[in-house]
Amino acid sequence: MSKKISSKKTQVLLGNVAIARGLVEAGCHVVTSYPGTPSSEIVPAVVEFKKSLDLNTYVEWSANEKVAFDNALAASMTGKRAAVAMKQVGLNVASDSLMSSAYMGVVGGLVIISCDDPGPHSSQTEQDSRFFAMFAKVPAYDPSTPQEAKEMVKEAFELSEAFQIPILIRPTIRISHGKQSVRLSAVKVLERPASFQKDPDRWAATPRYRLLLHKKLNESLRKIQNRFEKDRKWNQEIRTSDKTSLGIITCSASFTGLMDILEELGLKESVGILKIGTPYPLPQRRVSEFVSRHKKVLVIEETDVVIESQILDKSKVLGRFTGHVPSQGELDPDVLYEILARIFKEMDIASLKEHKDIKLDKLIESLDLPVRRPTLCAGCPERAAFFAIRRVFPKAIYPSDIGCYTLGLNFGAVDTAFDMGAGITFASGFFQAYHQDKKDIPIVATMGDSTFFHSGTASLLNAVYNDARFILVILDNEVTAMTGMQPTPGLGITADGSQGRRIILEELVKGCGVDWIKVIDPYEVKKFIKYLKEARKHTQKKDGGIAVIIARHPCLIRYPDEIRKRSIKVEVTEDCNLCMYCLDYFECPALRLNSEETGVEIDRVLCIDCGICVEVCPRGAIIPVKKKTGAKTEQ
Amino acid sequence: MSAIKTQMILAGVGGQGILFSSKIFSELGLRLGLQVVGSEIHGMSQRGGSVMAHLKLGAFHSPLIRTGGADFLYSFEKNETYRALTFVKNAGVCFVNLPDGDGLDPKIRNHLKRKQIKLKTCDASGEAARLGSIRAANLVLIGYSFGTGLIPFRDKDVRAVLESVSRREDIGRNLKAFEFGLKRAKP
Repeated sequence: MSKKISSKKTQVLLGNVAIARGLVEAGCHVVTSYPGTPSSEIVPAVVEFKKSLDLNTYVEWSANEKVAFDNALAASMTGKRAAVAMKQVGLNVASDSLMSSAYMGVVGGLVIISCDDPGPHSSQTEQDSRFFAMFAKVPAYDPSTPQEAKEMVKEAFELSEAFQIPILIRPTIRISHGKQSVRLSAVKVLERPASFQKDPDRWAATPRYRLLLHKKLNESLRKIQNRFEKDRKWNQEIRTSDKTSLGIITCSASFTGLMDILEELGLKESVGILKIGTPYPLPQRRVSEFVSRHKKVLVIEETDVVIESQILDKSKVLGRFTGHVPSQGELDPDVLYEILARIFKEMDIASLKEHKDIKLDKLIESLDLPVRRPTLCAGCPERAAFFAIRRVFPKAIYPSDIGCYTLGLNFGAVDTAFDMGAGITFASGFFQAYHQDKKDIPIVATMGDSTFFHSGTASLLNAVYNDARFILVILDNEVTAMTGMQPTPGLGITADGSQGRRIILEELVKGCGVDWIKVIDPYEVKKFIKYLKEARKHTQKKDGGIAVIIARHPCLIRYPDEIRKRSIKVEVTEDCNLCMYCLDYFECPALRLNSEETGVEIDRVLCIDCGICVEVCPRGAIIPVKKKTGAKTEQ
Repeated sequence: MSAIKTQMILAGVGGQGILFSSKIFSELGLRLGLQVVGSEIHGMSQRGGSVMAHLKLGAFHSPLIRTGGADFLYSFEKNETYRALTFVKNAGVCFVNLPDGDGLDPKIRNHLKRKQIKLKTCDASGEAARLGSIRAANLVLIGYSFGTGLIPFRDKDVRAVLESVSRREDIGRNLKAFEFGLKRAKP
């Protein structure tokens, strides 16, 4: 709320803010990122610390995660401390850099923060970033609380510099979006003038040298593993009795969830717990010794089998390989309770009560509550664009992409949402598949402005080069909306609010080789429909090509003043015959059935008077309120 | 350090001030020297979906509350109340924003009664509208909960928290809404 960072020693911080605090306490010089849930709050929090503490931190919203990674790595090569933050699927985009950086190493500390999303709550996959660390041979920390995340960031910089190796930190969503009272420490200012030391054998290594670098990396990993064996801060055994038959090896949010359940049930003395904060390289001796002391060992970790698969002797191990732990979904406290109930019964440790109130669940199910699915906001310009697209091409293929506009699938205007950039690559792929069979079908791709800057250009110039034919509508709301209103290159404002250089979207599209480009406000539905028809013709002409329409209207959450610029108050007349067209194909949250279910009505609290629905109703039953009768229809 | 251990769920839909309400209780916990852990939802869920915050004050580890674990439920919307009821423990308390004359399903009310769960409803949205700021309904409901005497915290601590966490232009409005709710519970 308040812009000022309070100076109190203990504060309740969101995990991502605690991570940002760790970065400034470590004296980190450069922070880069591409926004993505659950990582998006890290950079804004660094910016707030930078401003309130008057730090000289360089902060960057990068065009994509690979770009962010390389920029941070280069800073580290000059001796500065650098960090790059992203969501777990962002690490896929940056993986080329990640793999190579392990071999080449770093000079100033480099910390990679990759936030996982078990659930998934807001992601395409539940992939486990710790596996990526293992794959790349990069050491990994796995915090179980915001406080730990902050401290791990600081230690990661020390370790990174001691071994000249990048370090990955993997907070899960319950760490990143959990909050906790966190103790603050002093902020460090490190004098590190940029000083790049030329060393082509390392920085431009040929395969022969890469082999040597790989050998050196393996030696470092062995030393780091030894260090992790001795660590008692992050790898902690909670030993309450010497006679426990069951040991549990756990980490991250599963650890805290288990602790609460065991304390609540008074069963903490019945099991031994080994909490692992450094999953790679795994402290093998500690783990083996723990396993040897127990009759059975249960491994509970999010999200995949990173610890479990590294355990050498699995004869006593229960976990995902034995079917005791679910292989997908979040391990929330209810799931943990069920895992414990089964094992405690199998091992005759305790009998846990049924924890769910099945009768209550049934009563609530019988109410048949409406599902409240996420939807585009009332007045969202993307809804207007989708509506026009569907009206002109009711049977087209609609490849789309990742962003708010994925929600266009609610009203049938989105057929695919795959990964960043696939709105365009799928469109060209679909075109070529049908074209091979001499079929001409309309394809209308949609993609947001931020996604286009992220991975649209290579996709688009490839499609142009190979003479694919489709319509691309770039939904340009001048912000990265879904992840919390981060600025884009199209806006030209950088992460800390300072002025950068604006990238003109239409010039970029032209530069990709597109020669048919229109820019329009999707609120102008009639004109937009006309453009869509012209665009289709262009894609069908022999000397035509890809047609790009930039649908430009600012996001109304980011720019609320835009709402007041236009005010078309609407009402529903008695002509409404409940055909449901507006509810099914426009899905504006401000349009709803009236309580008698005799017609559609306007929700005055949600409606922002954009007036687009006037164009939507096939019977013309939604009309602008006439000034004269305005007062009467207010009710 | 106090021995208070309290778990609460705050439920509703986007725009009802659930994250701000969670912040009020977090700061209250901090003020009383309690450990605070909790969880919020960001990202896609903010686009008009259900919003639920978990908050635990006292000696806890995990930010999440399990089924039948919550001492208190604050619900700002009727349907979200039903969805959140599973979290409330036996003899727990639900504070629900419901228009006067409206109530929860009778079968569910009976079921809650058998579990000794107290159901306290207040037309917080209506009161807030009468106050001239519909967005302060969350504070009316929080004020109301303190007025019932069922909350293990003191009103004066909340007032101090409200002064420190509200935007400057909202301090007066938020305090007024809190007092309004408080009075409604103590006629």
